[in-house]
Amino acid sequence: MKNRLKVLRAEHDWTQARLASELQVSRQTVNAIETGKYDPSLPLAFAIARTFGQRIEDIFEPEEQM
Amino acid sequence: MPYILLVSRLLYYMIRMFDMTGGTRKSLSAWLCGDTTPRDRRNMRRLLWLMFAWAVSFAGGAQLVRRDMIPTGAFAWIAAAIPMVMAVFVLIAFGRFLRETDELNRRIQLQALALGFGGGWFAMAGYRVFELLGAPAIDMGGVVLVMTLLYAIGGVVGRIRYR
Repeated sequence: MKNRLKVLRAEHDWTQARLASELQVSRQTVNAIETGKYDPSLPLAFAIARTFGQRIEDIFEPEEQM
Repeated sequence: MPYILLVSRLLYYMIRMFDMTGGTRKSLSAWLCGDTTPRDRRNMRRLLWLMFAWAVSFAGGAQLVRRDMIPTGAFAWIAAAIPMVMAVFVLIAFGRFLRETDELNRRIQLQALALGFGGGWFAMAGYRVFELLGAPAIDMGGVVLVMTLLYAIGGVVGRIRYR
């Protein structure tokens, strides 16, 4: 799943640690989501969307199917 | 028995390092559970203390019984039962740690547990064939050590994979 987390974080001028603190997860989790190594659970995706005041589908989008 | 003494000593040093201030605490907790949240560090510290208490009660109880330092009967049974009770507290603390840890760490821990249990089980089952060929027999302590090592390897692999 692709996401705009890094872009949104940069717009807010937040570090990964700051975002992790907002979401109450580890910095490693934020980094893994940003790099596409890990897809967040639905509750965490909602928390991310709420933190940035956006809808989930505005932040996350599925990879294009072959 | 040497395995348990080794594990107790390792646990003791880990707790000591957790309780140190400054960079050591950060690096050790990061090594154990990634860049942790304060809740994870608290739960991990509780778990390590309980594991240390279990190891001490197990090693102590076994020594007391083995060396006939306590009278047989009720006291010996109590000494044997205390580690079992401690183990229940350890399992409760580990369950709490898994429930409350952040979701990526939970995934890493579960994958490590799967490798530790599954890999350990298959390794020991496979080793029985080598024993038939004359390889030295491995006792329960060896099984625990293999499972622990595989669990640790699984944790490190998970940390690297999601780094």
